[in-house]
Amino acid sequence: MALLTAPQPVRTPPAKRGAGRLQARARSTPGRLVVLMTVVLALALAAGVAWVIGATQRSSLADGVRSGSGRLAVQAQELYRALSDADATAASAFLSSGAEPADLRNRYQSDIAAATTALAAVSAGNSANEVAVQQISAQLPIYTGLVETARTYNRQGFPVGAAYLREASGLMRGELLPAAQRLYQQQSANLDDERGGAGALPWLALLFGVGLVVVLFWAQARLSRQTHRTINVGLLVATLLALVMVLWNGIAWVAVAAHLSAADRQGAAQVELLSKARIAALQARADEALTLVARGSGGEFEDDFKKKFGDLINPDGRSGLLNKARDAATDDDVRAKLDAAIKDVNSWSTVHGQLRKADDGGDYPGAVKLAIGSDQGSAASIFKRVDDSLGSAIRVTSATFDRQASAAADGLGGQTAGGIIITILLLAGVAVGYQQRIAEYR
Amino acid sequence: MRRFGHRFGPAAAGLLIVGLLAACGSSADNTTTPAPSFAPPMPVGVKDPAPTPSAQAGGSTSCDVRHSSLRPEAGNPAGGPTLDKIKARGRLIVGVDQTTYQFGYRDAKTGQIIGFDTDIVRQIAKDLLGNPNAIQFRAITSAQRIPVVQNHEVDLVAHTMTINCDRLKQVDFSSVYFDAGQRVLVPSTSTATGIQDLGGKKVCAAEGSTSIVNIGKAPSHPIAVSVPDWADCLVLLQQGQVDAISTDDTILQGMAFQDSNLKLVGPKFTDEPYGIAVNKDANDLLRFVNGVLERIRSDGTWKAIYHQWLLGDIPEPPAAGYRD
Repeated sequence: MALLTAPQPVRTPPAKRGAGRLQARARSTPGRLVVLMTVVLALALAAGVAWVIGATQRSSLADGVRSGSGRLAVQAQELYRALSDADATAASAFLSSGAEPADLRNRYQSDIAAATTALAAVSAGNSANEVAVQQISAQLPIYTGLVETARTYNRQGFPVGAAYLREASGLMRGELLPAAQRLYQQQSANLDDERGGAGALPWLALLFGVGLVVVLFWAQARLSRQTHRTINVGLLVATLLALVMVLWNGIAWVAVAAHLSAADRQGAAQVELLSKARIAALQARADEALTLVARGSGGEFEDDFKKKFGDLINPDGRSGLLNKARDAATDDDVRAKLDAAIKDVNSWSTVHGQLRKADDGGDYPGAVKLAIGSDQGSAASIFKRVDDSLGSAIRVTSATFDRQASAAADGLGGQTAGGIIITILLLAGVAVGYQQRIAEYR
Repeated sequence: MRRFGHRFGPAAAGLLIVGLLAACGSSADNTTTPAPSFAPPMPVGVKDPAPTPSAQAGGSTSCDVRHSSLRPEAGNPAGGPTLDKIKARGRLIVGVDQTTYQFGYRDAKTGQIIGFDTDIVRQIAKDLLGNPNAIQFRAITSAQRIPVVQNHEVDLVAHTMTINCDRLKQVDFSSVYFDAGQRVLVPSTSTATGIQDLGGKKVCAAEGSTSIVNIGKAPSHPIAVSVPDWADCLVLLQQGQVDAISTDDTILQGMAFQDSNLKLVGPKFTDEPYGIAVNKDANDLLRFVNGVLERIRSDGTWKAIYHQWLLGDIPEPPAAGYRD
């Protein structure tokens, strides 16, 4: 009964110290009221603290989903895409005879700009996975240096240019892309963690809150029995505030979890599928060009093309990335974009077949024309349409993600401040309610 | 308040000191953290050091590489099982280099593969199919030359390929169409005057070439570094990742032409007679190729091709020699 001895020194006349006396005092009506008040106050404080701390934590996690890990995961994905695209574009540019076409040059330059911008955003936003960021920061300038060296030698007509390009592509595929992949996986895992944390059921706060409501009801019933007064205003207010606490917390949780789940289902999960599809298309495109660059010795690139293309679209019409993204799509615009992309990828498959047939049959110039020609039916034009469709589908779903993640973060906003105010009022209500009764015994 | 100061002053001072220490610590961290170092990029497929197949290469020594081919028939008739197949197909399939300046390389302006080697095989296509351009070029690395012939992936290989006894066991060669010899290419600032000065230094050559074997056999014991294509050696030398390149003078001259900061040093220390590789089951094709080579030696075409691609005085074409 150590608990019952704690409040004893308050407002009790000095008396002989002894266990028997203390227990007797605690059993006296005002003594019991003090004990009860202390218990209820402690419970109310615990419930308030659990609520405020939990809400603060979840709010910061939800904020992280909105503006931190969510955005960083998108940036890491953009980094990977831009790097892959630079590799594919450099290979295509090499295939064209003479000075490289201006549009390929522009595309390469905007890829490098996009990659460095995304890298800066990722490195500013997160100190985790520093090694991957450092590696990309250190090696991307070397990559671009090799590409420029290749370009200069190509313009002079020297074959060492092609060797520099191969070295650059080896650096990209062997070092930079794997590092970007690790970075993306890290950011993606962070996003999952934060989303899980922000949407978690605040069970501790709810448990305390419900317990508090029950205890307050019981305390009022007991008080009205003992004092023959129906209503104690302080405790009534406290009970109402405790109910507000539980309801606000519970309703906010349901809403936040719904928004987070929507952010995932209508946003992040689709963005991931779409990005995977876009990157598979890019890598298939790079393989297609590199097979021609290797000129008859590109067997491994063609094998890789088949693999990437199989990931992108499967003859069964279901298990390819594009069909999966089509099935997961929740937006009509995105669905239309994916239908267009599926149609284009099917014609790409036909053109690629013709291209391989031309190359294997000795018509190398014809194969190169099919690969990089500027007419609507060339693999280059079809690939560009696929890439554009997927790019705009990603923009639409990213916007949905942002919207839902913002709604989730907003749903938790105000709970910290509100929680502190309600807790203080609640404590005041309990204290005032009991003090009134205790005072009546003086 | 005095009491407050008395009780919390030391604690506050302590906190301040801890904070300062932490600040010092973190700033010290920032300045002393070493920048991470990442290995410089290298051509894909580089082997440093390269396994040098010297034992295997040194094995067979007794054969006459200059009298190893088959004599063309009078009038060089274009008939036989292999020749008929090629004529039915309508084009020759030839394995070539697309990275060796002047011998077989991709012309960046047109995308065509051009050079001394390809001009020789265009003469074969001209005589066999009536069209010097009826050729499907397949770019291969040095190491792929023998397998693609053995697997019938190509009809011929014309790829600065030295005729030697080991290779003669695996494929047939035309008569010698070019005489090269191994030398050394170093940066112009280098003090090395030949392979003898490169002991313990890194020397590059293509994987599967005779040059890499010769580097391994050099008495000065250089460290051989192998790459898939010759141009990869030039990249390594320009990036300072090897000290020298050692291979046929012809290939080295093409590299020196692409970079004026390099120089050829030392005498030819090997003899590298080039031949066109043909499958051992295609004797009709082999005789036909030798017939074409006879023609271009005598009608001035060989000298014209030499003049088009290579500098200096035009030598006499290498003499033909046959085993039959």
